[in-house]
Amino acid sequence: MKIPLKYNFRSLFVRKATTVMTIVSIAFVVLVYIGVLALAGGLKTAFAASGDPKNVIVLRDGAKSETESFFGLDKARLLAAMPGVARGPKGEPLASGQAFVLQILKRADGSESNVSLRGVEPAIFAIRPQVKVIEGRPFEPGRAEVIVGRNLAKRFAGLAIGQQMLFGRVQFRVVGIFDADGSSFNSEIWVPIADLRDSFRRGENVSTVVLQAASAEAAVALVDRIKADQQLKLQPKLETEYFAEQANANSRQFVILGNVLAVLMSFGACFAAANTMYAQVAARAKELGTLRAVGFPRRTILAAFLVEAAILGLLAGCVGALAALPLNSITAGTMNGVTFSEISFSLRTTPQILASGIFLAVITGVLGGLPPAIAASRRPITQLLREV
Amino acid sequence: MAIGTLALKNLKRNKTRTALTLLSVASALLLLCLLWAFLEAMQSVEGADDTRVVVRSAISLATLLPEAYWQKIRTIPHVQAVTPLNWYQGTFKDDRPENFFPRFATDPATLFEVFPEYQMPDDQKKAWAAERGSFIAGKELVDKYSWKIGSPISIKGDIYPFDLTNIVLRGIYTVPNAPVQERQIFFHRQYLEEAIGNRGLIGTYFLRLDTSDSVPAVVTAAEKMFENSDSQVRAETEKAFNLSFLEMIGNIRLLFGAIGLAVVISIFFITANTMAMSARERTGEMAVLKTLGFGGGQVMSLVVIESLAVGIAGALLGCGLAFGLVGALAKAAEKVFPVFSTISMTPKIWGIGLGVGIAIGLLAGLVPAIAASRLRIADALRRV
Repeated sequence: MKIPLKYNFRSLFVRKATTVMTIVSIAFVVLVYIGVLALAGGLKTAFAASGDPKNVIVLRDGAKSETESFFGLDKARLLAAMPGVARGPKGEPLASGQAFVLQILKRADGSESNVSLRGVEPAIFAIRPQVKVIEGRPFEPGRAEVIVGRNLAKRFAGLAIGQQMLFGRVQFRVVGIFDADGSSFNSEIWVPIADLRDSFRRGENVSTVVLQAASAEAAVALVDRIKADQQLKLQPKLETEYFAEQANANSRQFVILGNVLAVLMSFGACFAAANTMYAQVAARAKELGTLRAVGFPRRTILAAFLVEAAILGLLAGCVGALAALPLNSITAGTMNGVTFSEISFSLRTTPQILASGIFLAVITGVLGGLPPAIAASRRPITQLLREV
Repeated sequence: MAIGTLALKNLKRNKTRTALTLLSVASALLLLCLLWAFLEAMQSVEGADDTRVVVRSAISLATLLPEAYWQKIRTIPHVQAVTPLNWYQGTFKDDRPENFFPRFATDPATLFEVFPEYQMPDDQKKAWAAERGSFIAGKELVDKYSWKIGSPISIKGDIYPFDLTNIVLRGIYTVPNAPVQERQIFFHRQYLEEAIGNRGLIGTYFLRLDTSDSVPAVVTAAEKMFENSDSQVRAETEKAFNLSFLEMIGNIRLLFGAIGLAVVISIFFITANTMAMSARERTGEMAVLKTLGFGGGQVMSLVVIESLAVGIAGALLGCGLAFGLVGALAKAAEKVFPVFSTISMTPKIWGIGLGVGIAIGLLAGLVPAIAASRLRIADALRRV
């Protein structure tokens, strides 16, 4: 025979103040856990949006990131002419050399960071259709114009449309703000490649080349073809893999931090849950005695209290998760440890993260409720009934 | 003091509850102390000297400066010595973080002039300077990998398209006051330059000045000197240079602060909850005390002392645990994340931990205490 859930639920709220306070304290644990994981979630979402399975990024052999990579324009031209590279409507190859320069800029709060300046060729807009100028207009090559990713424009000083900024030897003018659909490109400044090369005296070379194949399978074949080419001696990677590596390298610290915090904080919250449940047991001694007297067995009493503790945890988890939802509107910035440049991203409380936060709260409740539940089920009926 | 004794006796009445509250306060303060200790360890700039200035490209560290700047910087008044340091990075053995340590290409003739605190026997200095394909390493690193003078190591290049193959250990230096600095290696810049075709580029120049008073003058002079050139520079103290890396990571302080605040609020609720429970249970008793002539203030202090005792005991336990754990963490971090091996429970962190414990104890007790002091005897005695 089971005790109906309604009984547990109502019992919890007989002592409202205690229950609410416990819920609040566990909810804070959930909030912190979800908050830290949302940082990791945001980074992963941003990098996942950057990679396209049809794209191949080609780096210098041995280079781990775009920052370290460079090779001659001659090789870049050979890459663009390779079979397997898709063609645009006018028959031009979907290939773009990219020059990657880090530039120290001031954030709006006065602190400094390295920002990625990316020199691109016109084909890049066909390769990355998610990049759209949302304010102002696209740049025109040869006129020292740049367009700025929307996250960067928000977080850094002096990057509004019309403002001038010295990059290398040349004063560039911001003519547009672009949105790259939540991807890491939102933290970059894009420049026509020739302008960037000229301004930084970079010579006849590129940092990387990005190529688009007709399909994901064709991209894999293209990677193999470039790898096999002994003359090029370059390192091709599927763009999805390249960005997944960065996502993992950068979000790992937050995942570790989140889990360490979760363990330590829920330890404290467990005690709070135990306290509440002990109080429940103590206050309901007579009730329990009656339940036992009318025939409910010990394990039903045990189960009832565990269910009650789980409900307590579940409620706290839901409150914490709800409180965490506004975090999604926060944009945070940190250093991309792989390219050594600023990456801004929006926090993301993915359903998975919310679920694990709620799960954490339920576990906390049940673990905290276990000792009082066992204590309650073990007490003899006579003793229970004798209590005032 | 009768009230105090009574308050402590009350704590023993429900031992489970007292223990549970104490443990939750302790675990929260443990966490708070750990967070704080990590933050401080991150920001420690051990080994930075205030007579050293770093000159690098104004664009960013990824852009290098011409070799020709070396002699020019040397002519700035108050500059005693200049040495180039190029960050080689590379991969030693594998990509695991425990096998990572800084590797610099430098000039053996001037390195020790700029870093006089690096100590190495003269014969080793000579042997290193005389052999292009050799390197020196700090004692901690040498011990970690059990290298000996003459040991060859190989490092795969990433930033530079050149692998260091079997470079030989010719010297072991020590840095008595900053063992963290003993986890680096230095090799000949000239060796790297020749291998990559004499590009003549230098990542950072480290300058040693006569006194720390000359820092502003030298910084201005260095930045002015190259103002109209193609490669403008940024000059700053070694400390500012080290802190700039932390600045790039972003607002870690804010993140840790937010977490810390949530932890504190959370324990506040836990403790306040317990105190309210314990006070409510004893409503009758308090009424009796009042009947006997105890004043509102005394009854109030009874509850507050009880809560304060839990706060202080929990804080002591939490800080003590943090003290033990931090020691263990520092040892563990030495191998995996050397940056964090300086982590320690400073007096400041002890102060913060105990302070928060006391504050929580006081505040948590206050609400039920005020209720208790306002209690009307007749009402309270009527309750069951």
